[in-house]
Amino acid sequence: MNRSVYGVWDGKVHDFRLIELGEQPAVLTGLDDFAPHNETKAFIADRGFLVFDRDMSLVEAFSQYLSQAARESCGRCAPCRVGTQRMRDLLQKFSAGLTANGILDDIKEIAEQVAETSLCGMGQSCAKALLDALHYFSDEFKPLKPAQAIFQHSFVYTTAPCIEACPSKVDVPKYIDGVKGGKFDFALGVILDKYSMAASCGRVCVRFCEIACRRRSVEGAVGIRMLKRYAADQAIANDRLRFTKSPIRRNQRVAVIGAGPAGITCAYKLLLEGFQVDVFDAQKTAGGMASIGIPSYRLPKDVLKAETEDVVRQLGGHFFYGKVLGEDFTVDDLQDKGYDAVFLAYGASRGSLLGIRNEDPKLAGYASGVDFLLKVHQHVEHGEPFAVTGDVIVVGGGNVAMDCVRSARRMGARSVHLIYRRTVEDMPAEDDEIVAAQREGIVFHCLTNPSGLVVEDAQVRGVELVSMRQTELDSRGRRSVEALPDSGFLMRCDLLVAAIGQQVEPSVLKPEDGIERDRWNCITVDPDTLETSRQGVFAGGDCVLGPLTLVNALDHGERAAAAIRDYLDDGEVRIRPERRMQNFLAKNKLFAGECLKTPPLHQDPVTLPELDASERIKHFGEVDRVISKEDAYAEASRCLRCYRLYSVVTAKPLQQPVRAAHKESTFTSNRP
Amino acid sequence: MKAHINGREFSFEHDETILEVARKNGIFIPTLCELNDIDHAPGTCRVCLVEVDRQDTVGPHYVTACDTPLGDGWKVMTRTPKVQEMRQLQMELIMADHHQSCASCPRNGNCELLATANSVGLKQVRFHYTEGWEDLEPDHGSQPVIYDRSRCIRCQRCVAVCRKIQDVDALELAGWGNAAGIRLKGGSVAASPCVTCGQCVMVCPTGALAERDQTQDVLDYLADPQIVTVFQTAPAIRVGIGEEFGLPAGTNVEGQIIAALRLMGADVILDTNFGADVVIMEEGTELLGRLKKSYRPTFTSCCPAWINFAEKHYPEILPLLSSTRSPQAVMGKIAKTYLAEKRGIDPKQMRMIAIMPCTAKKEEAARPALGENGVPDVDIVLTMREFARLLRREGIDLKLLEPSAYDDPLMSEYSGAAAIFGTTGGVMEAAVRTMYYVVNGKELEHIEVAQLRGFENVRSANVELGGEYGQIKVAMCHGLKGTRQLVDAVLAGTADFDFIEIMACPGGCVDGGGTLRSKKSYIPHAMMRRETMFGIDRKTKVRQSHNNQQVQKLYADFLGAPHSEKAHQMLHTQYSARPCGVIADIQAAWDELKKQGGR
Repeated sequence: MNRSVYGVWDGKVHDFRLIELGEQPAVLTGLDDFAPHNETKAFIADRGFLVFDRDMSLVEAFSQYLSQAARESCGRCAPCRVGTQRMRDLLQKFSAGLTANGILDDIKEIAEQVAETSLCGMGQSCAKALLDALHYFSDEFKPLKPAQAIFQHSFVYTTAPCIEACPSKVDVPKYIDGVKGGKFDFALGVILDKYSMAASCGRVCVRFCEIACRRRSVEGAVGIRMLKRYAADQAIANDRLRFTKSPIRRNQRVAVIGAGPAGITCAYKLLLEGFQVDVFDAQKTAGGMASIGIPSYRLPKDVLKAETEDVVRQLGGHFFYGKVLGEDFTVDDLQDKGYDAVFLAYGASRGSLLGIRNEDPKLAGYASGVDFLLKVHQHVEHGEPFAVTGDVIVVGGGNVAMDCVRSARRMGARSVHLIYRRTVEDMPAEDDEIVAAQREGIVFHCLTNPSGLVVEDAQVRGVELVSMRQTELDSRGRRSVEALPDSGFLMRCDLLVAAIGQQVEPSVLKPEDGIERDRWNCITVDPDTLETSRQGVFAGGDCVLGPLTLVNALDHGERAAAAIRDYLDDGEVRIRPERRMQNFLAKNKLFAGECLKTPPLHQDPVTLPELDASERIKHFGEVDRVISKEDAYAEASRCLRCYRLYSVVTAKPLQQPVRAAHKESTFTSNRP
Repeated sequence: MKAHINGREFSFEHDETILEVARKNGIFIPTLCELNDIDHAPGTCRVCLVEVDRQDTVGPHYVTACDTPLGDGWKVMTRTPKVQEMRQLQMELIMADHHQSCASCPRNGNCELLATANSVGLKQVRFHYTEGWEDLEPDHGSQPVIYDRSRCIRCQRCVAVCRKIQDVDALELAGWGNAAGIRLKGGSVAASPCVTCGQCVMVCPTGALAERDQTQDVLDYLADPQIVTVFQTAPAIRVGIGEEFGLPAGTNVEGQIIAALRLMGADVILDTNFGADVVIMEEGTELLGRLKKSYRPTFTSCCPAWINFAEKHYPEILPLLSSTRSPQAVMGKIAKTYLAEKRGIDPKQMRMIAIMPCTAKKEEAARPALGENGVPDVDIVLTMREFARLLRREGIDLKLLEPSAYDDPLMSEYSGAAAIFGTTGGVMEAAVRTMYYVVNGKELEHIEVAQLRGFENVRSANVELGGEYGQIKVAMCHGLKGTRQLVDAVLAGTADFDFIEIMACPGGCVDGGGTLRSKKSYIPHAMMRRETMFGIDRKTKVRQSHNNQQVQKLYADFLGAPHSEKAHQMLHTQYSARPCGVIADIQAAWDELKKQGGR
């Protein structure tokens, strides 16, 4: 279906009210089955609106849409603050039958002003569809009939390109507003509403948000991550952040397997809801890959501890360290012990093999990236003996490879070489990481691929390498690489680190656990609810996704907590309307190809202060420094607030009524 | 690059805004939120609309001139009918949630909003509503500055001056939608870093920020036959208030002020300058004593916003502050004891009313230490703006009055040294004149100490005191941003000074947070007011505090010697740390998110 009766999209008018035409291409996909057993009547966005049921009330739909705009308006610029309120009120009046006195003309006049002159994306975008409707379909503006009121419900979703790009859907413009407005605790609160690891994420996130930032095309993306860190640090660094146990008490117990970002986030959110949570981890500390995989010069351990272990303990959670699922206990054991739900978040911590001649993980002088980083971690944090003195070769081009070379440098290696089969530009590692590694004197050998190990007395002594070259562009515009004939050569080394990726440990789960996995041993889950094939067992993070990013894990942790709450409260798991909308927006790529009509005034981006390379390679102390308050204000003021609203109008409400018992005080008190 | 504005071609630099280029070339575009003097263009009022034709896209475009960089080859029109209509509608929207009762507004008669409404030719105000006016900030007893959201246009100039000029950063942007506005961090003066300097009021274009108005209290006292009203007027009042009555900036209206107070029925008319002379006697003595013990540096203590700043932001330096009370507080104390005794007035019936260029003085007067048994030494502090209002309520036009002179024999004489207290470096110069005499037994020859008279925010100089003191190193600072840098340097041990004068307001008291407001400018009259002060100094018979005969009489008849036990008890005070950092209230953030409709 998906064919609108009438509407305007990207300026194109669709009007099939009088003429029934044959098959028409759908403007957008996924609207007719937006939610199961619930008819979609209309859709309103910044780029236009589409009506699927002519009997719905257009006025009421826009009235709801503008109500949300009025709520969301930050209230700083006059046209948006006043205009959104007035449009809402006038639409409500009209909807109630007060149609006289050129009320539609007034609405139109305000809508034009709001769209044309508002300061940020919120105001600029919220009145466009209304203007289209008034321009082409003013005859459809009629007072609301009682029957319409019953069978018409709007769900309005507010978002921005940076929010949708973020796996965790953190309200980026909102916390930037917090910084801009001098409300640093509010800014932090926006982040803590999603997950506890704000300062960690503010240091090491891969920043999908900054890639989506519309300011990127002007003079560079807003330094979103540094602002997040600023907000978090001003509370954590001054020891101003304390959590106390949730006043809500629930009897259900949840076991979280893995104290990594996904597990910690799930535990944090469930504890805030009053559940009893026990966290099991194979290591001695919380943090998972954020702890062992990210060296402390990027993420200091005290920062990580403050917002993982400390927060969970403050909220009343318990840790059971050194406990390995599949070795020390099984999922059945957990069920026997009375846990009402289980969240599996045991990560992907087994290093991938290079698949070359003579390769054997047991060889001396051979390590996978994660194993090497774990040894470094245990040496730096726990004083366990580990020395890196000779020449080190690291194979790989991702962030883990960068962590390995930079750690090897700090451990005192004589020389550190990076081998990568493609070019520097092709490296999946973040640019900042690559530049930092180069500054620290790491020797890059790109377009080079290992073909075998040189082993003497069961000790790696070198690597056989071949030179590669780029092939011509293929039909999809991409280049591949191929080995140059007869280009083999040898590099001596004392340690070879294979940092080409990780895999999920296959032995954690057994077939008798009854939990489905795919051929990479990743747990199969419902992508929306994170339910596994076994009832009451949910899974997320790297053990589902394969080795992915911190913020993906945070997202899984948060969504798993919501699903577990639904499951334990109601016995069934729901897909939230926000999630449906996010899926819909992604499917239709509604943020692609946007440009700025008039470029904003140039404002130099703030650069993150860092320790000089010659100084930082001597130790594992943090490289990046926090920005000054002045810089935080300046950087925050660069945000263009590209908010926009998406509304889907359905026959039945999308928002499930929240059960009265759990409606109030869902959050813990954090007052001093 | 070149572009046309209203058909004339102008060249301009990359990234210059349309507004900048227009202004440079004398082309007027109405503005409201922008304040060039403090480099503030938040783009929130959206009034400065212009029409733009660009070669690269189909136009016309309507953009705000303040935040749009002019493009090469653009044709900008500032006066097309469409642009004028849009500006008028914008003004209508700004007025739509604005308080419409101009008659009761503290900015009545001097409002930038109305001026801008005039300049865009506003003809009607439709769409008026009052939602968002509720939940206004309560008026806390001694809170000197009051915020009224119903008169706020959300220009954020107050936030900018507090952050950029004063580096105090006490304000935050609060609320959303129609309830958006500003708020003190932590919700109150006490919980926030606010030092009540009042610079926020000075830049507010409307009556959203104003002093807590106490003119009615003064009128009531004047009307009460049982009450003996005693007035004191700060050094800066006489060089500032003439502007309110159409006199040129910097006109000295001391005589007219005396005449006006007498006309209103003031019982006793004193001059804060007398108190300033007493302060020099006390502070000078205190400083010499400290220097002898190599206890350094000493900071001045006249400025109440500076005292607040030290107590809230740098409690560790409090022992370095002079313990001498401010001239206002000294006047209050001496009036309710010495003056009451000598003139046979029951101090219980006495009401001391101080007219000050300052909002922080209101808070200072309420300090428990500056009173006796809960009765403050200074009962009411009127800012210069309230004093102007008081004069209007009494139907007095200052410029029509015949100047008069003081007749009080005890507390109205002043030296030239006291007269310059209201400008940066003035306290320092006054102190040097007296300390030099104390050390050497003779007057300083070049009495106008040129090296103290600059206007940079932070200045330093070496002054020859002679005797065992030799050369002393002094520093002077006006504005709290510079003060912060100076205090940081002192704490870091990188600033080597004996005596440091601090005035919290940029420009000093002549441009204090309680002075008259200007439209679209920030401290435009500082130099003229200052020159008049220096002129008063030159014309005064005695130019050193210790030569003030009424001061000599005060010590001879009442206090004994400077820094005597009695003087110490009556004219000195203590300070205490007032930390303002709190535990992060994340629950409040979550409550706010939820209230807004949270996602």
